[in-house]
Amino acid sequence: MGALANLILAMAVGAALVLPLFLCTLRRDGMNGQSQQVPFLGGGSQSAHAWQRFHIRYYPMTLLFIAFEMEMMFMYPWAVVYVETGIKALAEMGMFLSILGVGIIYAWREGVFRWQ
Amino acid sequence: MAARLARAPGISLQHSIRHAAILLVAGRYRDTDRSALCRLHDQLPQPRATAWWGAAPLTDVHDPVTIAEGDDPVPQLRRLDRDLLRGARASEPDWLPDEPPNAWRGKGDHGQGGKGMMGGVPYGRPMAMMGEEMRDGLMLDAMTVTIGPFLRTLPPGLSLELTLQGDVIQQARVATPAYSASGIASEPLLRAARILELLGLPDLARRARISAARGDDDEGLVAAARRRGALLALPADLADVRARLDAALRRGAAPDPGEECLVDRLAGMEWQSALLRVASFDPATLSRIAPAAEPEEGEEEKAA
Repeated sequence: MGALANLILAMAVGAALVLPLFLCTLRRDGMNGQSQQVPFLGGGSQSAHAWQRFHIRYYPMTLLFIAFEMEMMFMYPWAVVYVETGIKALAEMGMFLSILGVGIIYAWREGVFRWQ
Repeated sequence: MAARLARAPGISLQHSIRHAAILLVAGRYRDTDRSALCRLHDQLPQPRATAWWGAAPLTDVHDPVTIAEGDDPVPQLRRLDRDLLRGARASEPDWLPDEPPNAWRGKGDHGQGGKGMMGGVPYGRPMAMMGEEMRDGLMLDAMTVTIGPFLRTLPPGLSLELTLQGDVIQQARVATPAYSASGIASEPLLRAARILELLGLPDLARRARISAARGDDDEGLVAAARRRGALLALPADLADVRARLDAALRRGAAPDPGEECLVDRLAGMEWQSALLRVASFDPATLSRIAPAAEPEEGEEEKAA
């Protein structure tokens, strides 16, 4: 009985959420005409769709950020074994970071960090 | 004219017609702006009404609400709003035929209006076409839109045809010139209010409008603008806009912008900077640098 009541309650709540959407579609006479669908441009009009490709200029910087953020992830397991492994682990991580560091210097030279 | 409404309690001027209940046509408008006015009206959400304040109603409008130029429109606007909400006055029908700008239904393999990514006119409009990006020559989509003549952030009457890639203006053309100088003494303050609104300082803009409507000098306005960082918010490459805003707040004369054309200055600018620069010119300068074909006096604003 409890389960049935819960089911009915859930269906009632669902219907209360969904029904208004259907009711809206029933009476929208003149409310969704062609002129209601175009963006407001102060009386002006557009000659093409707004769906278009343009250049996100911070894109290379974003990619670089994600790459170096992932590099940080490798340091978590390293930090767990660092204490027992000692100087050898430090040297290995030093090599890893310095190779990536060369990458940063290269990206810098290529102007990735310059905000456009 | 519409600046007088800045002080009226219960009336707020909206930036977009989509937020308004009543379209208030204040002052004379040009014949060439009729179609823009119709488009603007049809974008009003229902229930809607139009009030003509010192303006001649369009001939095919049924039962227009007219207000004489010298009258105070506030009581009439209130009554109109109340009647609309009570249902005592019917909502206005569209003034333009309800059809897409181009025929598209049933065309293409799925009736979507065209072929592939670029062809056809889905929903009656063509897709954006490729063009060279002016900064690095990449072939990206360029979109052409006409903004104005009744955009609140632009000088009244001015409409610009802009080709945009992202928010960078590739090309600009003056579609219709701004209305010529009305000659009222408070014009610099109204112009300053437009710039302040663009800078995101609406209460300072309202203060400037109220000062303009009263016709007195608000001594503290320049100091308040300085304190709120309105002048510092304009970057170094907009130093000319900063100088003109400062002059407008003091109701003084702005430095002469030279003979250069407005549209040449807009190419390569980003949206916000371009709007700020356009809003900063006084009507006399604007009619010189943004060539005027048939200047006529008048103002348009919308109220809710």
